[in-house]
Amino acid sequence: MNHDQAELLLSARLDGERLSPRAASSLDRHLETCAECRAFERRAYRLRESARIELAPAVPDLVEPIMSAVRSEPRQATRLHDVRPRRGRGAMPRLAPVAAALLVGALAGSLVVGGPLERGPGGSALAASDVTEGIAAAAVRLDAYQATFAIRETHLSPEVPVRDLTMSVWFEAPERFRLDVVDHTDYPSPATPTHLRLVVNDSTWYASGPAPCGTARCPMRESAVRNRLPFSTAAPLPGDLILPVSTLMDPDRVTVLGRGRALGRPAVQVEVPFERARPLFPFLEIGGAWRPFFPNDRVRIWLDERSWFPLRWEVFPATGSERDQWALRFGLPEEPALQPVFSVTALDVGMRDPEPGIFEIPSVVGTQDQGARPVLLGQVERETGFEPVAPTSVAGLDLYRVVLPRDDSGGALVAYADGLAFLTLGETRTWMDDAPFGPVGVQAEEIALSGGGVAYYEPASGEHARRLSIHAAGSDLYLESNLSRAELLAAAASLPVEGLPMPDAWRVRGSGTTVVERMTLDEAREAAPFPIALPRSLPEGFGLASVELVDAGYGVGVTLYLRDRDADAGIGTIRLHLEPATALPPASSAAQSGVDVGGSPGRYTPGRSQLEWIDTGIYRSLDAPGLPLDGLLTVARSIPSGSEGSGR
Amino acid sequence: MNDPDPRTLERARRGDTAAFEDLVRAYQGDVWRFAYHFTHDRALADDVTQEAFLRAFRFLKGFRGDSRFTSWLFRIARNCAMDQIRARNVYVERVSPISGTVADPQARVELHAALGAVSAEHREPFLLVEVFGLSYQEAADVLGVRVGTIKSRMHRARRAMMQALEIEEDAR
Repeated sequence: MNHDQAELLLSARLDGERLSPRAASSLDRHLETCAECRAFERRAYRLRESARIELAPAVPDLVEPIMSAVRSEPRQATRLHDVRPRRGRGAMPRLAPVAAALLVGALAGSLVVGGPLERGPGGSALAASDVTEGIAAAAVRLDAYQATFAIRETHLSPEVPVRDLTMSVWFEAPERFRLDVVDHTDYPSPATPTHLRLVVNDSTWYASGPAPCGTARCPMRESAVRNRLPFSTAAPLPGDLILPVSTLMDPDRVTVLGRGRALGRPAVQVEVPFERARPLFPFLEIGGAWRPFFPNDRVRIWLDERSWFPLRWEVFPATGSERDQWALRFGLPEEPALQPVFSVTALDVGMRDPEPGIFEIPSVVGTQDQGARPVLLGQVERETGFEPVAPTSVAGLDLYRVVLPRDDSGGALVAYADGLAFLTLGETRTWMDDAPFGPVGVQAEEIALSGGGVAYYEPASGEHARRLSIHAAGSDLYLESNLSRAELLAAAASLPVEGLPMPDAWRVRGSGTTVVERMTLDEAREAAPFPIALPRSLPEGFGLASVELVDAGYGVGVTLYLRDRDADAGIGTIRLHLEPATALPPASSAAQSGVDVGGSPGRYTPGRSQLEWIDTGIYRSLDAPGLPLDGLLTVARSIPSGSEGSGR
Repeated sequence: MNDPDPRTLERARRGDTAAFEDLVRAYQGDVWRFAYHFTHDRALADDVTQEAFLRAFRFLKGFRGDSRFTSWLFRIARNCAMDQIRARNVYVERVSPISGTVADPQARVELHAALGAVSAEHREPFLLVEVFGLSYQEAADVLGVRVGTIKSRMHRARRAMMQALEIEEDAR
């Protein structure tokens, strides 16, 4: 480490920026022997003292002039997002934050982890965005991690009301990970214990556990992957156990319950619905038998306020008749809302380097080959005939792996990483499909990049992280990352290419007499012979992603795709289709039922989560995979009727 | 700098002027000081502060919590200051001493000389981080640059300011 590097790190540390343990220890070693850098540190402190004392001129009180200007502002017209429900979750009644905090505090106080919550007046409240930003920042700095957790599960079956398991986790940035689950349950009758293992070691991956089966004795199942693609979501690394980056990435969906102590450390407690917290329960997917969870069950997570490591997470049952009916289907006993049905509690957490050999992959017959061939960046041109473009901004991530995927795109995949954060960049010069390159669909949101040009963006889903595709002259690229949407867009904007709008061949699709054409909302308003009004109430974080004009030969309809800007978990894409009609189409499912949609007779089809109704001569169909009936109704009733509100 | 109580923010977002007034009261000092460091003129700093809060009120509905509220507010204040500077063409690179402080005038002059020795590119992150206590991420949000850029500019700003201060010390 030279002076410049040492001073840069010193300067950052002085400003409260956390250094990686590796950087911090080599900085300390350098300081021991370097008088010049120690002097720099002392002078920096003197500079700080003078700056903070000196630059505090007397400040005038401007509240009155500001507020009288504010009050004379014309009242703003209601816009799309103005009347969004506040973090509502269907029928689940929400407690006021303070009441909830007291309730949880009383409950958590009796437990080993999680003392009473404090919610002091003013300053001590943490905003959800503090939590999401804190986690995102910690993810980049994490080099190594080890932890052990106790898992307690209730109501697996009437014979097994409680199970106790332990889970050990090891991690070394960026792609070495191991998880072991050991089942300590004393089963009353012969059963296969849920012993699990998952190991990720760069380009290799291994998982083992009992295959889910309906009988008491289940066969053990092993699977392995070689030549794994960097950050492959098909052979995933469940990093949320270490820092819940994807579970808590969207501050709109996180409720901060309050602060307290957990494992003797200052901690903050947050709540998210189970459907968004799935990444905190990766063991459910590896194998063995587990109890079921309802999508709206509440997951309360204690996070270490300094490191943001999750220290304890518990699942509390949701309330309401839908949950009750669901519980009956699974034969669950009555589950009181204030008692956790599942809990994971840290026994020991630390940033220690894992022992050598811990990430060794057992040899398995029948290893799956993902076909990612490792190359050096300098070799790519020889192999593919082109030199891959490089972003000038990758949020400070380091170049980590370069591979040539075994698909027919003839391209290259470059991965950047730091800690748990990653960004992959795929590029091809021979893209022939009539759709964006990479895992991005034709209905993706078009985003103007700050450097010029456009990209097509999709939020994170169960299968993929946030991603976008760029179609440029002569090359096609896609980026996928668990960084924030803003950082992903900044990386895309820093590429030396200009993204072109989708070619006509992608935008226009036809089958038989029906032609579907992607266009802008304004173009659709020009083309459609009826007014197009957007819902005024959408779930938090949702907005218009794309619009398609559907010409079925007998008339023109319009389909609007509304998506969450950050993550698709749970609700999925909300689709609203409009076309002129005076009656609903014939019934197509026996399970349909009649509902009233803001005074118009409508129909609900649970299997498709679809609501249909006729309003002022326009047939409307609204569907979203994860939105229950009351959620669909809230959106439907917020769509202005007829021509009202159809313009701007 | 603390972010506001999310409930106050939410009420203000929905157009509650009393909640917005709470925000004005809580942050007017920081916004004014920030504006002052840009304009070096008390009257201009008043105008910038007023305009910044007015714009914040107009745009608050669109504030999505992508960054912290304080970073967002500073970003608006910075834009207002830039607009004022462009409109009036008054910005001077020379940094005039600030009146109204009680601290040692000698040290104050030195510090302002040091600030003047630093380019605007380095002065802005220095003020945000060192004086207003923003994190690198927040300063990056305000200035629309990468975190790594803030990190290196802070380092260079420190070096330049130390050098300027030491030159003065040596001259004494």
